[in-house]
Amino acid sequence: MSSSPRIVISGLGAVCGAGRTVDAIWDAVQGGRSAVTLISHWDTAKWPVHRAAEIQSVDNQTLVEDRKLHKLISRTDLFGLYAASTAIEQSGLLSHRDTLGPDGRSHFNERTGVFAGSGGGNYQSSYEFFPLLTTAGGNLQTFGRELSSLVNPMWLLKNLPNNVLCHVGIRYGFKGANACITNQCVGSALAVAEAAASIRAGEADRAAAIGHDSPIEPETVLHYHRFGLLSEAALRPFDRDRDGTVFGEGAAALVLETSVGAQARKAAPLGEFLGSGCATEGTGILDLRPDGDGLSQAIRLALADAGLSPEAVGMIVAHGNGTRASDASEAMAIRRVFGENPPPVTGLKWAYGHLIAASGVLDLVLALTALRQGVVPGIPTLNSLDPDIAPFPVSSTPQQPRSDVALILSRGFGGMNVALLVRGVSSRSVG
Amino acid sequence: MTTCRRIAITGIGAVTPVGNDVRTTWSNLRAGRSGLGAIRGFDASGFPTQIGAEVKDFKPERAFRDRKLFKFASRTHQFALTAAEEALVDAGIRPDQATCQRWGFSAGAGMMGVTFAELESVHRFCGAGDDFDADGLLDQRFPADPIAFCRTQTNAGLALLTRHFGIRGYATAVHTACASGGQALGTALRVMRRGQADFMLAGGYDSMLNPIGLSGFCLLEALSTDNDTPERASRPFDATRNGFVLGEGAGFLVLENWESARLRGAQIYAELAGDGNSLSSYRITDSHPSGDGPIQAMQQALTDAGMAPDVVDYVNAHGTSTPMNDRSECAALRAVMGPHIDQVAVSSTKSCMGHLIAAAGAVEAVVCALAIRDGIAPVNANLVQPDPDCDVNVVRGQSRPMRIRAALSNSLGFGGSNSCLAFRHPDDVTCP
Repeated sequence: MSSSPRIVISGLGAVCGAGRTVDAIWDAVQGGRSAVTLISHWDTAKWPVHRAAEIQSVDNQTLVEDRKLHKLISRTDLFGLYAASTAIEQSGLLSHRDTLGPDGRSHFNERTGVFAGSGGGNYQSSYEFFPLLTTAGGNLQTFGRELSSLVNPMWLLKNLPNNVLCHVGIRYGFKGANACITNQCVGSALAVAEAAASIRAGEADRAAAIGHDSPIEPETVLHYHRFGLLSEAALRPFDRDRDGTVFGEGAAALVLETSVGAQARKAAPLGEFLGSGCATEGTGILDLRPDGDGLSQAIRLALADAGLSPEAVGMIVAHGNGTRASDASEAMAIRRVFGENPPPVTGLKWAYGHLIAASGVLDLVLALTALRQGVVPGIPTLNSLDPDIAPFPVSSTPQQPRSDVALILSRGFGGMNVALLVRGVSSRSVG
Repeated sequence: MTTCRRIAITGIGAVTPVGNDVRTTWSNLRAGRSGLGAIRGFDASGFPTQIGAEVKDFKPERAFRDRKLFKFASRTHQFALTAAEEALVDAGIRPDQATCQRWGFSAGAGMMGVTFAELESVHRFCGAGDDFDADGLLDQRFPADPIAFCRTQTNAGLALLTRHFGIRGYATAVHTACASGGQALGTALRVMRRGQADFMLAGGYDSMLNPIGLSGFCLLEALSTDNDTPERASRPFDATRNGFVLGEGAGFLVLENWESARLRGAQIYAELAGDGNSLSSYRITDSHPSGDGPIQAMQQALTDAGMAPDVVDYVNAHGTSTPMNDRSECAALRAVMGPHIDQVAVSSTKSCMGHLIAAAGAVEAVVCALAIRDGIAPVNANLVQPDPDCDVNVVRGQSRPMRIRAALSNSLGFGGSNSCLAFRHPDDVTCP
């Protein structure tokens, strides 16, 4: 433990309904502006659900300049590549690589990892087969015969869950350790944890960790609605009247590297990765334990991994997805670890929706910004704290972090729980 | 280091096109019997490729009494449940009240799968016109079947298996196409070395043998079209090879800390000794002809395992039987092993069971464990006319009895992810 290298964060990137830069998203959060609005991806006039936090004002070419790539990847991949590029460019890694000789560059690339948390697929991708199904009229033999004339030959490649890994690699030449985690809502939090673990274990010197997803599509929305998981009004974490989550879409990314490496190239750290914990409740796809046992276990594992006591944590970015069961059990889990006096808690999904696979790393990027500003953002949709949860240190107005350490929580289908701990860099100390 | 951080393989399970359990699979692989044939699961007669490697006569309900469990399980999840149960029985240990938080799960899971019938149903209600009519979903029960939704979630297999087997620790699902199974085992190895779990249930499962899955690979012209000779269609390293054969199945392994496995007197097939993991960053579907990408994965696996190349006696190659893969992989093998490569028995068991995509690396890890235990390098079937560009010592004609000190298993994926796992004979493991 003591011999493992310290890991710093040297680049951040994000795009979601609330903005396409970290600063813009932070401004929206600080200003209490939610990106949740009417769904435009399809006509929801007759639908029971009308709202989501879509990315509406960013065109594909702003996200990824290379037009040829647009035909080879899907919408979620565009988000992921954009966030990754932003983080990598901010980190200054590429200009550092340019200073190296050919052998140094090759070594650099082989020691640079890429870790992605990917939504893993969607229903809409198969709709590209509809013209073929119409032509086939139920006859599979015709379906097979007409296949190549009616479906894009690149269909499979376009929908690979690991496209962001592949194209970050091809674009930047990175060739090191990699993983594409398709573990639903905890995918990107696990990507960060695995990227950091890879650096700690000496398998890589640096890595990009990316989360991306675009869950706003008719079939997914309808299923979530029928399970009672979606709100038609607003996402109100921990509120008495909370009635579900609201989808968002987008991506976020980090560059992680050893502090020795960052110092050597005089890169200013934006934060430090401290530890992670992961536990499933083993409750199946939709259920979760009312006592939040898997989450409290994940938090304890993260604290142990970081060598920190609960008192060291200065703020918590909760998963806070706004559903009855998840928020209640999350509050239980936090209290089980932190006792009666937990640090300030916030949840940010009211501002940009629930990005599913991308939510963990986006929350992490915003947590670092919050620590830099010394502000725990308020939850403007919190009207009245759920009495079953009270007392609980959430607020509709900003709070002050108790220290420079943030805990970020991610939960998902399969009874999954992941906790991440980071140290922020205050804007004052940077000067 | 005072404690022994080595990881033992103490249980294995498999459902494959050549057998619905380990014993049958292994006996058919040793004999070089093919599991390839005309696709029977649906009418493939109009497709350019009409052959596949299907799992046959699969009756999972025999092993499981829990009816509700199977409602939430797609075909691929049923393979996974069956293979995982076999691995746990084989290991003679499973999660309980006292150990469940120390059990982890890591699996290479296939791409999100919607059954063809479900897609046809959505098409009927929403897709018959020129534009997608989302309103068609609203009134229909079938396109909005909640259980069908659960089955399609990317971590549905993880959810099912962790619940059924009572796993409460670290859990992950990964997908890097054909490298998924290998990368899942690599992740499991790392999680255990980090001390985040004492036991792991790790493997992979996939089934793309449906009209949509077959379409995807047909469109890329990646599959063999030898529809008249399916048993010969997968012929890795042969000069006449013309594509891979799509398979399905699952493989699971039980991993355990060496010391505790020894203390409880468990059978140990092999040490899972090392993992290498690289990104080719060349093209989506291929590695560089020089083997760049796979080379680094193999070198890392050897370094990670503390192995010199000359202790490797067997390589279970990725060997898909596509022109590009086999050439690039052989170049990589020679680059990593040097002249010793001529002494290394190389085979691709895909010659008999086809390409299991996200499950391939896991099933092939099971094969490596058996190869080491029984001292047999399984045959690479169908090699008649060796390709001079694939200049390695392929196990030809019949399986080769030989003591295997160490084995490597390669899994190289679309998207450029490369996985190499290193296995060591248990008698060659020294633990302080």
